[in-house]
Amino acid sequence: MPGADKETELKGRIEDFLADLKRGGSGTGALRGSGEMARETTYLLRRITAQARWSSAGDLMEIIRHEGRRITAAQPSETTVGNMVRRVLKIIREEYASTASGTSAKQNMVDHVIDGLVEDLSVQIKSNQILFVTYTWLGHEMATGLSKVIIGTQTVLANGGLRAVNGTHSVALAARHHSTPLIVCAPMFKLSPQFPNEEDTFHKFVSPHEVLPFTAGEILSKVNVHCPVFDYVPPELISNIGGNAPSYIYRLMSELYHPEDHKL
Amino acid sequence: MNLMKLVEYFRTQVRQDPEVPSAVAAIRTLLEFLKRDQTGETILGLRENLTQTIRRLEEADSSVAVSSGGELFLRFISLTSLEHPDLSQCKKVMVERGELFLKKISLSRSKVAKLCHTFIKDGAKILTHSSSRVVLKVLESAAADKKRFTVYVTESQPDSAGRQMADKLRKLNIPVTVVLDAAVGYIMEKVDLVIVGAEGVVESGGIINKIGTYQLAVCSKAHNKPFYVVAESFKFVRLYPLNQQDVPERFKYKADTLKAVEDLAEEHPMIDYTPPSLITLIFTDLGVLTPSAVSDELIKLYL
Repeated sequence: MPGADKETELKGRIEDFLADLKRGGSGTGALRGSGEMARETTYLLRRITAQARWSSAGDLMEIIRHEGRRITAAQPSETTVGNMVRRVLKIIREEYASTASGTSAKQNMVDHVIDGLVEDLSVQIKSNQILFVTYTWLGHEMATGLSKVIIGTQTVLANGGLRAVNGTHSVALAARHHSTPLIVCAPMFKLSPQFPNEEDTFHKFVSPHEVLPFTAGEILSKVNVHCPVFDYVPPELISNIGGNAPSYIYRLMSELYHPEDHKL
Repeated sequence: MNLMKLVEYFRTQVRQDPEVPSAVAAIRTLLEFLKRDQTGETILGLRENLTQTIRRLEEADSSVAVSSGGELFLRFISLTSLEHPDLSQCKKVMVERGELFLKKISLSRSKVAKLCHTFIKDGAKILTHSSSRVVLKVLESAAADKKRFTVYVTESQPDSAGRQMADKLRKLNIPVTVVLDAAVGYIMEKVDLVIVGAEGVVESGGIINKIGTYQLAVCSKAHNKPFYVVAESFKFVRLYPLNQQDVPERFKYKADTLKAVEDLAEEHPMIDYTPPSLITLIFTDLGVLTPSAVSDELIKLYL
């Protein structure tokens, strides 16, 4: 039966996506980079909307929330995935509020809007390519007078702080010390409704073999080596997040996500 | 229902259930008044009567929350389409909305506690000021979540409210120590976070709370400790104080003091104002807000 086939196909795709996420997150495997992950998530959500069985907006939201919980549990440090799920939930709420007609019309509308979101993403990703200078030189350069420091980030948190690659906090402190403006560029899908002090929001550690290889010998038994992946940069050190002050992030958040979806 | 009886009703409500916020007791009183009122003949007349009642209740209990709670209640019930030609119909609608409002705000303390307790990590040392039922609820939820933490409470003179808070916490089996108000700077290096309640949240995102809160905030900023405020949304008040002197006198002193004393310069104020720059986050039933987000939420409430 065509219906059953579609369902198993959909389930298969979701399982594939989950496996990809668990395997590596960004950096390795099929899903490289947050942009790629955001796009893949949106495609998956569009497929779910098109192929799953639902008869009301509430049903669809429940399905997406259920799948969203599984996806975010697979790789908690990738907040982009959760953000896309929340964005789609908000879109569904908006569509429901603006339409009054039957199921089929709703389905078309939601598809249409998710398409728009995918297009939106491609534009954003192209216009936000950021180049990094190596961190070790930055202090020296700043002392001789840089006009500004521009950085990217993995996530923008709800209080305007950042969760960025290790070393960014030092850069931010150096910039504050030399009174150099610090500007952050990030696409919308990196805005996350999480706060930094909440439990389980934060760290991801990787093997320190790049810093202290196993061949180092005796010393390995005497020391504890931690290798965190992310840094927290407090909002006080940031001048601008793409045209907005960090204290304005709550506003963008309320446009992108609905407060009831903060906890999936 | 004359005003004397109303104040009696209000006081009885507060006495019967000490857990309930004074603003909720005030709103229950207003609802009673609305149900029993016979003299209002127009909607405007009703509103006038309610406003007068709120003034009278403020004289009985000068806390900021009674004022803001009453104002929000009035707006919620009357700013709706009351197009029925018959006054008693309109009154019925207003009473229904009043009951709805009351139900919503009775749940707000639990909502705040649910949001805040995830910010308390295992092994945390918490500093709090004076006695706040919302902070108590938050700590209760965190303890129920099997988290281990210790609490320091400031004694909070002149009424030693901190000691009552310590007693309540001991009943919940939470290790607690009472510290002098003057020992805040001394103890700050030991604590991980500061949580206080608020009597009122002002438009700028700052708070009005028991005297000594400002000191606590300045100290925690100096030591780089997060300073969290927990408050229900009916405490949002339309004030914008620029400094300590700007806070209206009717909130600064207890109601009895205001009536009895001629020269207020001799009296100790009971509250102070903490500016938003010292506050990290405000937890309300509308969500977790940064101080800059408060004015947006306030406008949504009052409009």
